Amino acid sequence: MVSIVGSGLIKIDRYYEFSETDLVIEAYKNLILKVKEMPSSIDALILASTYSDTLSKNLMLAFKLSNKLGIKTSISFRVENGDNGGSAVLAAYSLIKSGIANSVLLIGVDKFSDFPSKYVNDVISYNLGNEYQYQVGLTPHAHAALLMKRYMKKFSKDYDYFTKWPLKMHENAVENPYAYLRFKVDKKVIMDSQIVAEPLRLFDVAARADGASVVLITSDELSRKFTDTTVKIENIVSSNLPLDLASVRINSVRDVAKKLSAKMSSNDIYEIHDSYSILATLELESLGLAKDGNGLDNLDNVNVNLGGGLKARGYPGSAAAIYQLAELYLHLIGEHPRGKIDAERGFLLSTDDLGNSSHLVALMR
Amino acid sequence: MKISPSQSWRLKNTLYSLTLGICKKCGNVFYPYQSICGNCGSVDVEKVKAKGTGTLLEYTVLYQTREGFEKQVPIIVGLIRLDEGLDIVAPLTDVEANELKEGVRVEAVLRRLRSDSTNGLIQYGIKFRVIDNAGNN
Repeated sequence: MVSIVGSGLIKIDRYYEFSETDLVIEAYKNLILKVKEMPSSIDALILASTYSDTLSKNLMLAFKLSNKLGIKTSISFRVENGDNGGSAVLAAYSLIKSGIANSVLLIGVDKFSDFPSKYVNDVISYNLGNEYQYQVGLTPHAHAALLMKRYMKKFSKDYDYFTKWPLKMHENAVENPYAYLRFKVDKKVIMDSQIVAEPLRLFDVAARADGASVVLITSDELSRKFTDTTVKIENIVSSNLPLDLASVRINSVRDVAKKLSAKMSSNDIYEIHDSYSILATLELESLGLAKDGNGLDNLDNVNVNLGGGLKARGYPGSAAAIYQLAELYLHLIGEHPRGKIDAERGFLLSTDDLGNSSHLVALMR
Repeated sequence: MKISPSQSWRLKNTLYSLTLGICKKCGNVFYPYQSICGNCGSVDVEKVKAKGTGTLLEYTVLYQTREGFEKQVPIIVGLIRLDEGLDIVAPLTDVEANELKEGVRVEAVLRRLRSDSTNGLIQYGIKFRVIDNAGNN
């Protein structure tokens, strides 16, 4: 079995004085305060970072971090799979499961605030098809808007329905010290917010910011060296199936839900990748947590994105998944600063911006 | 330099013409063309030029855009079902959003996409426009 034995997070924010490395150092310092022993002889460092090369002109960052943190792991590499930071979780899990490593420091870091939106929009559009979609000026936002419009027609919904997601996420973020946007919003503010691409508004889009999160993962045998409160990674299932815009289906999420042997229930806690309100809606439906066409109708009865999601905790690229993993861990061991949640199991759904590639991670206390 | 001449040249079958792939094994029709089928992995793929016409399934108006495309805002983006049966997301041109409705017939046209600078390389590519008087399908 593979266990999570510690985590370190910093508040997601705009850090003009800090580089990616600085952010990771701060998150790592928070980890070493919490574990019983300094993780000085870690086998591997796996880095989830999508934009550190294109935005910060920084390659070999995993190697550099391994040396800067004083852990000098034998293995270090960065995993880039768009915003699907779950791929780094899978890499870390696989290293331990296979016996190649007994301990892995999983790091997520990305930084958006150094450049204006139009430049970041360009870089984020690298996620689209390179031969045509990127070249002709499209963005993921345009795709999300088309998806949202298709959904509204398919299920006869108006925009009012989608306000439920940002309302809930901002409510959740208020109590989360790691969240970027720790304030409540009212429906009118959401409905009057800037249109990004009709019908998609500002409050339907994940809030880009800077963040770093670290999670220490070990084999069972090694776990007690670091902590007495572990969380097991039971299983990870994965899928690569393109978004079907016309049919309004995120097939990769439906596929991972089908593949997962563990049964999900309303007692469990969930972290999903709400890059857009429409993605959150379809993910809840695809995971079977809501019926098709009713994804946002039951949010008060599902423990989903308790930290505020990408919408209000904030969206630091593929570090989002490492935040989600770290916060699930803290909830399951009862040490999240937000307060105790009575749950034994947690699920992390990590996808890219438009739900083409998914991982579903099952955790158990 | 943001636009690479060699990259633009390499994309001539995608940016300057709608060249499709049709898999002779599984029937998958795809764009852009490549010599292997992304559905079944067969290399028995036929290269064909699309008719360039289709039907607008959905559209949006994009206000928040990218560097290099600022002057084109707002950009109307359509989800188009080509007559060959595949869907593509593409920019629409020569039309105002209030003149559009789903189901209208569209055709591919070559338009200027962006340029490196005042004296730099200009990149062209395919957008779609409404076919006048074609009626709705």
